[in-house]
Parts: sequence; C-alpha cells; structure tokens
Amino acid sequence: MTTDCLTVEQLKKGLEPLNGHGDSKLLTHLNSCVHCGLCADSCLFYLATCDPRLTPARKVDLISSVYKRYHTFTGKYLPVLSHARKLDKATADEMVDLFYGSCSICGRCTMHCSIGVDISYLVSVGRKMLANMDMVPATLQSTVNAAIETGNNMAIPTADYLDTLKWMEEEMADEVGDPEACIPVDQPGKRILYTLNPREPKFYPLSIAAMAKIFYVAGESWTLSTRMYDVTNYAFFSGNLDEATLIADRLWKEMEHLDAESLVLGECGHGTRAFRWESPNYMERGFPFPVMSSVECIANYIREGRIRLDPEKITVKVTMHDPCNLVRSGGIIREQRFILKQFVKNFVEMSPGGTDNHCCGGGGGLLSMSEYNDRRIKAGGIKAEQIRQTGAEIVVTPCHNCVDQLIQINAYYKLGVKIMTMAEIVAEAIVVK
Amino acid sequence: MPTIQIDGRSFEVDGDGFLADPTIWNDDVAQLFARYDGIESMNEKHWAIVRIIRKNFEEKGMAPMIRTICQETGVKLREIYELFPLGPARGACRVAGLPKPDGCV
Repeated sequence: MTTDCLTVEQLKKGLEPLNGHGDSKLLTHLNSCVHCGLCADSCLFYLATCDPRLTPARKVDLISSVYKRYHTFTGKYLPVLSHARKLDKATADEMVDLFYGSCSICGRCTMHCSIGVDISYLVSVGRKMLANMDMVPATLQSTVNAAIETGNNMAIPTADYLDTLKWMEEEMADEVGDPEACIPVDQPGKRILYTLNPREPKFYPLSIAAMAKIFYVAGESWTLSTRMYDVTNYAFFSGNLDEATLIADRLWKEMEHLDAESLVLGECGHGTRAFRWESPNYMERGFPFPVMSSVECIANYIREGRIRLDPEKITVKVTMHDPCNLVRSGGIIREQRFILKQFVKNFVEMSPGGTDNHCCGGGGGLLSMSEYNDRRIKAGGIKAEQIRQTGAEIVVTPCHNCVDQLIQINAYYKLGVKIMTMAEIVAEAIVVK
Repeated sequence: MPTIQIDGRSFEVDGDGFLADPTIWNDDVAQLFARYDGIESMNEKHWAIVRIIRKNFEEKGMAPMIRTICQETGVKLREIYELFPLGPARGACRVAGLPKPDGCV
C-alpha cells in the first residue's frame, strides 16, 4: 500500500524525527520563524541564483509545514488555512532538492537569523527524515557505503595505502635530510593518533608528507593506523545517525586498540565536526581522550617552541578560506590566523571572513553529490569573487573538502591561484634543525 | 540524463560531467573531454596518464592510486597536477572516461 508513491513504512519512518513532543529545541525552532527574510542575503545559494525558493526561510517553512500537518489541531483539520503540508512524494522530492541540493549546512543563515532560529539544525532534521525514507541522493550514499564496507570512503585497498605511505615517507625523509625519518604505522602507545582524508593517499598525498614533516621537526610521538585512518564521516551529513555512529565508533575503538593518548583529526571540516563536536551527542557518550584538529596541534607546536617557521619562505600574498564546519560550527577561528601570521608577511583576510565567511559551496556532502554539480559551481562563484577581491596568489584552507571545491572553482572562474592545505604551507616554511 | 556538447558531438554524462557509459570511451572522446577542460592538445604525458587510469579501471573497476600513475608513467607527482588542472580525479579520470570516484573529489 502506498501514499502518493511513498510507502506507509516510508511515511511512518519519515515522520519519526518530528515526533519529539518533549524536544523543546526542535519545537522552538520549528515554530519561531517570523518570515523577516533577512536570512536570504546570508545564503550562498540564494545569492548565487536569486531564486526565492532557495532562501533559508523557505527551507524552514517546508519542514515546519509538514510538522503542522501531523502535530497541530489546525494543521490536521484545516491544513489549507494553517499552511500545513502533507508528507507525500512531491513534498519529499522538494525536501531532497532543498535540504541536500541547495544547502551545505554552513550555518551562516543561523548566525544572521533575527531571532536565532537554528536553520541548519532544521535542515539536518529534514535530512534525517529523508534518510529514514531511504531518499539520500545515490552519490552521497555510495560514499557512505564505501566507508562502511571498506573502512575508507574511497575504497582504498590496504596494500595501496601502505605503499603510498612508504612513498611519502621517502619524500619526507629526503626533504628533512634524514634517512631514518619515518611515517609510523600501527604503533601502539603513541602520544598522537593522526587521521587522514582518503583523498590524500588516493590522489593528493603531498599533504601526508607535509604533516609528517611537521611531526618530525616537532619531535612528536605519533602514528597512523591501517584499520581506521579515515577522518571523514559523510553519514552525519546524509542524516543517517546509525551509520554515523558505526563510523565514529571505529575511530573510537582504534584509539583504544592503539592505546594512543590523544586524537588529532586531519584537515577536514566535516570530519572534525562529525566526530569532535557531534559524535558525543549522537553516540551519547563523552570522549575519554583529548581530541583536537591538526590546526590546533600545529599552533601548539609554535607556542611551545617545538617548530619554527621561516618568514622568508612565503613572500607572495596569501589569503585563507575558513571552512564553515571548523569556524562557524566549531569555533576554531584564531588558531589558523595565529599560525599564518608567524611567517606569512603578506596575509590578507577575505571579506567577509572568520565566522561570517561564505561557504566554498561544496560543504554538507554537496561535493560528493553529482546531482547538484551545476548549482554547486554556481554557488562557488561567490567564493571565487571573494578570492579575486583579495588579489592573493595562494589560498590556504585547513579542509580537504574545501580544497577540492576551490580547485574546481579556480579552474572554472579562471582565478589562477594556488590552493594549499595548512600543513602544506607550514611544511614549506618550517625550519629543519 | 544530462548531456554535454563538444565540437558538435553530444555525450550523456552524470551531473559532474563524467561519461555516463564508460564503454563508449575511445581516444577521440578523451581528446574532446580534455579540450572541454581547456587542454587544447594532449601530449605524451597526458596520454600515458590516461592510459594507465583506463587500464586500471578495466582490470580493477576503479581509478588507480596516484602512486600507481606516477610509477607506471614516470611522470612526477607535482607535474600531474599541472598537466590536469582539475586534478587526477575530476581532470584525468574524467578524460579517461571513468565514473566519478566517491569521496571528497
């Protein structure tokens, strides 16, 4: 039996995330939008398209109209008068388009909302409803499936991964002039377990050598893992928290397995948010070990005098793109600036920057969703213009997902800039003792 | 299914512009896709990279590691990023007619 093409089971499961009668946060945010429209100008997708359908308020409206239909008296009996909407196939399709296809959950609208509605939280609830209905876009789901089935989201075989680490170990040893310099793998009892974005071993391994060089100069006791090295957790963004739990739990277990003291998350905004700030909520347990981003780790090395950066190495103008998940969501704002100002003479901020920075356009899983490529590139036009305005030759960003989107908009909008991760630019200027 | 037009030929592609049917790929298609990305004429190194990617895909069903590409072609890592400005995935794999690799690419 189906309901306008949604099965009864789909409808039931789809509505479950709205059933939290006692969830005051959910109810408050679902029922508070005053339709002032201020959020429109904060949204990358609206700014890039001028399509009123893509404004954050419309996204809020969509999910709260479904809520009203099933949870309020007037919505149940006078749906037309109360602007309540049935959850059917057409509604669900529109939710897919708005919640996955035109929102990167960057949170800028939430910050600009005149009354503080947590719009990106509501979009996440909408994604949860769609995940419950098995309506996650196929390309996003296949990235999650690869992570679950193979242990990393690019399905890299272990032998290939190890071979690449060996290669980068040689590269790094060469650079520091010490044939004994190594990239430790699966070594128990180290101070730090470090993690990677699988795109590093697969296609962009120089950032592995760069971070290894920083660890080497800092004299760090660290290791990578073969069983679980993937910092990403796309399931958090697909809305399937059972799958997100499964992935996060592996990293948790690997910390215990290797008996590492603290976890340093590689340069990945999504991964850092999904694990460090969100997993204690969806896993309902607190960390028994310290967790930090590699940006904080590098900043600490500078403060502790463990690494020194040569101010003569990078002489061109440098700007920085703030990854939404690290900056707006996680509050890591000063550390990356502290690092760059140590050695980059000609640093220029983007405008707007910091917590008010625009998303690159590829966040929230959008980069992996081929379905919305055109919209993503168009939304990236805002970032392209921001970069162009700075006149910088190098754009640094501590997030591999942002790097990939920036590479694409660099080519598409003919910016002619060089995109680097934080580890890469630091490794170029680091003084090897 | 979206299509792209290059030099009067029409190709069915996914949303990211990767060839929908990898079996229709041949050297002409590679050259056309490269031109679409601004690589006017593919040189020996471009071809060597594309061929090794294609071979790996046909044998193992996936894109090779960048390590394999460097080993088999002798092209230096940093040079690959210059040869394909969109990178090994969105650049080289797309020219080689592969489906888009999963993950942050």
